[in-house]
Amino acid sequence: MVYIKCTDVVAKVSDILDGEAGRLTRMRFYGHVMMCRNCRRYLAQFKRIKELAGKVTPDDLPPDFDQVMNFVIREIDKPDG
Amino acid sequence: MPVERVGQQETEKARLGALKSGSAVAWRELLACYGPRLLRYATRMVGARATAEEILQDSLVTVYRTIARFDGRCSLKSWLYRAVHNRAIDELRRRKRYVDVGDDPERDYFNAAGHWQHECPGWDGMAAKRLDDKRLLIQVRDQLDRLPHSHREILLMKEVDGLDPADICAALEITPGNFRLRLHRARAALRAAVVRE
Repeated sequence: MVYIKCTDVVAKVSDILDGEAGRLTRMRFYGHVMMCRNCRRYLAQFKRIKELAGKVTPDDLPPDFDQVMNFVIREIDKPDG
Repeated sequence: MPVERVGQQETEKARLGALKSGSAVAWRELLACYGPRLLRYATRMVGARATAEEILQDSLVTVYRTIARFDGRCSLKSWLYRAVHNRAIDELRRRKRYVDVGDDPERDYFNAAGHWQHECPGWDGMAAKRLDDKRLLIQVRDQLDRLPHSHREILLMKEVDGLDPADICAALEITPGNFRLRLHRARAALRAAVVRE
């Protein structure tokens, strides 16, 4: 198997976690990660940050949100558009 | 093509027809469906609610006035996002507040041979498992709002709003390859920012 470097692991980590990497790339990636403590640490951090970014909830809507939309609706309802 | 996908395309086609014919009901439905998430997106991009509201209003009125030019090559959702996104970027640039990609935070991690030159940085020296999710989530959220806009936009669309890659590519007018690269760099920048915190 072709050996890959730490920089390759870091560059491929998103593709690996998103399921976008091919079988051979995955084998090389995890083969390296098994042997490299720093890359294991990086992968664990990256994975956790990615998961948490997906849990960031949208902000609450402002109380006057209807007024914001009503402005647009009034523009749309104008006879000349 | 899956049956559900064909059904979605037919629904979108019918909706677009109603919008182009000026149906007030169709426009109200569209605003109710996408207005809230577009306002949230604009707010996280520009950081000020009042400015975000202006951006949303301007964008939606522009979309209404130019709907006849929409050719349906991308989804309506991505077209709406593109309108709000472009207007937000214009506003940030006008105010000289737009921040493009900064230095690569990982540039100094590796030696010439491509291996770590020091230990991979940790979270304040603490083991990851000792940082509880709630505290880390707050850090992730705070740092997301401080990232350069070019990183923030792609993470907001992908991770927070859950848009499909195809819709993000259409909204940001980028290729799928560029999307993968930019998404990775944005995540890496977020990781580096949280680790530094």
